Amino acid sequence: MELVLIFSSLLIAVLVCLFVKRRIVVECASLLAVAIALVESILVALRVAAHGEYSPHVFFSVDALGALVMLIISIVGCATVGYSIAYLRKETAQNVIGQRRVRQYFILLNLFLMAMFLAITANHPIFAWIAIEATTLATAFLISFYNKPSAMEAAWKYLVINSVGLLLGFFGTLLYFTAMHSLDGNEFVSWQMLLQNAAFLDPLIAKIAFIFVLIGYGTKVGLAPMHTWLPDAHSKAPAPISALLSGVLLNVALVVVLRFKLITDAVVEPSFSQILLIVLGLLSIFIVALIMLTQNNYKRLLAYSSIENMGIMSLGFGFGGLGVVGAIMHMMYHALIKSTLFLSAGTIFLRYHSTKIAKIRGMLTALPVSGALFFIGFLAITGTPPFGIFFSKVLIVTGGMHVHPMMSALALVLMAILFIGFFKQVSAMAFGDVPTEVEVGEKNIWLILPPLALLVLFVVLSFYLPPFLSTLIRSAASHY
Amino acid sequence: MNMNHALIQFFVAVVFGTMIFSHLTKKNFGASMAYGVQSLAVAALLFGSFLETQNKLILIVVICALIVKVVMAPLFFSRLIRKHALMFSASTYLNTPLTLIAIAILTFIAHSQKFAAVTGIVPANQALLSLALAAMFLSLFLIVNRKGALSHIIGILSLENSIVVFTIFAGLEQSPALQLGILFNIFIWLMIAQVFISMLYKHFGSLNITSMQSLKG
Repeated sequence: MELVLIFSSLLIAVLVCLFVKRRIVVECASLLAVAIALVESILVALRVAAHGEYSPHVFFSVDALGALVMLIISIVGCATVGYSIAYLRKETAQNVIGQRRVRQYFILLNLFLMAMFLAITANHPIFAWIAIEATTLATAFLISFYNKPSAMEAAWKYLVINSVGLLLGFFGTLLYFTAMHSLDGNEFVSWQMLLQNAAFLDPLIAKIAFIFVLIGYGTKVGLAPMHTWLPDAHSKAPAPISALLSGVLLNVALVVVLRFKLITDAVVEPSFSQILLIVLGLLSIFIVALIMLTQNNYKRLLAYSSIENMGIMSLGFGFGGLGVVGAIMHMMYHALIKSTLFLSAGTIFLRYHSTKIAKIRGMLTALPVSGALFFIGFLAITGTPPFGIFFSKVLIVTGGMHVHPMMSALALVLMAILFIGFFKQVSAMAFGDVPTEVEVGEKNIWLILPPLALLVLFVVLSFYLPPFLSTLIRSAASHY
Repeated sequence: MNMNHALIQFFVAVVFGTMIFSHLTKKNFGASMAYGVQSLAVAALLFGSFLETQNKLILIVVICALIVKVVMAPLFFSRLIRKHALMFSASTYLNTPLTLIAIAILTFIAHSQKFAAVTGIVPANQALLSLALAAMFLSLFLIVNRKGALSHIIGILSLENSIVVFTIFAGLEQSPALQLGILFNIFIWLMIAQVFISMLYKHFGSLNITSMQSLKG
């Protein structure tokens, strides 16, 4: 029932956006749909925390990690839709976009959210693949939303690289089905069935399949060296879409990789998948550490930070044990704070009309609240204590110290370099004299509330995890 | 399969052959027609699955595949070629002799022991699976080696065709409902790619991806 409500409310919102021209109706329908999705996601999370895996239908199933990601999708989705309303109104007022584009935006946004919910709840690996591919299709036009050459180029790059990646992921997915040879081809094959039949999988095929899946879905996760599309796409999309792409979509793809990791680990020694995740994770952090200092665009800076953080999560899942707990917590914290950062970056862009770091000066004076949100967000995302990301990073590194001390130490050094790089860029933006042409003071409360709500939630969860969330994290960690 | 074995081999050879042709042809129209022929061969192989199982839903999949891949896709490409006067495809990174050497190496790798586990999923079909895997590699190589956006689309769609051929001979065919879902995805992808091609041409005056430099600086 919960899932039906989520999908039907988003679908109705899409239809309303398609057929109703009044802007207020389009906005309200989208907001209502995502609010329903939030309530239902909380109900699903409570149910999973209390009774374990929830399978309302053969096609759908939600485990602990799935429930957590559903919560992330709906919370960030809610903030994003709320922010989008104010953001697009401002852009319409500035004649950046017309009314028709607003409807298109909300159609694609609702489709994007629906595809993510489908991908995370789909009980069939191919069904999940179709949904992930649908996220690519829904977001391609959102990335090229401003119809500028750079946005078009970024969207094309995104479409081609992700499509190739996902086809490789599709091939890897199919290879896992060799475990099901004894079954009728028309039988529904769930994730659980694949896991139960893993013993019939040839270990060599399992290894090759996991490599294909890791390269394929890893492209969507943004793991290096398949990350090249991410900084362009995330920096060219409208700020609220960047928040969803960075904060949510990457996690959805990562969960699919983890589900295949479970099956692979049942066939070959877990060290195989763990080493691969550690190598890609470290490589992602290393590449970003090299690039961070020379970045001149703050949205790209945030996009690169997403690559780094996905690398950290990959590292955590690779380390195993405490690292997995840290990685799951990191997933949750990163989603909240990265969305806060992208939404406040949107407000900074609306005020300064530029994404160049060199043109942003006196951010804390010009935008006392949004600037502060951005600055606190930077402190939090780089793992400054006492925020949650500090604890999740400590857990990941501690988990790694037992099994791969050198890798953990290297990761720690790279994270320190990243902090310095990030600090250099953000401090240049935060302080100094406000350019004369830039107005001072916050003008729109609706541009402040969504990122503020996300930050407040992030801070609260940094110090207090509600029992149901703790249960979900523990349960998910015990599986993965 | 109820289909004659020689006929099956012929269709797989067509899939592989059209991939090589797509690499060698200098004209976009030729590449788009090659994709149409390749898709026809894939649809014929799917029809073989129908003959074997007598599952009417598979027949629907075959009809949908024919409509989307054999009719619509080449039609879209032809329209784009005419609309933007894209008679000749953008250049390649490797010249023709080097391209042929790369094709030979990739085909050899697909037939090598490295992939024996994958191509030996159904030992009786090892040669056909190796050829399908080689077609997959060649599709990837087409995307990497060509500078034209249209070639990239054809490469991606050919990669999907090659995977379909692989699944048929590896006994990994999905249920018709899922196959229809995948086809629907391909259809939407095709529509979106077509819109993007037109928009890219409008912005850059060319479909050569090396002329797209707006993200730099």
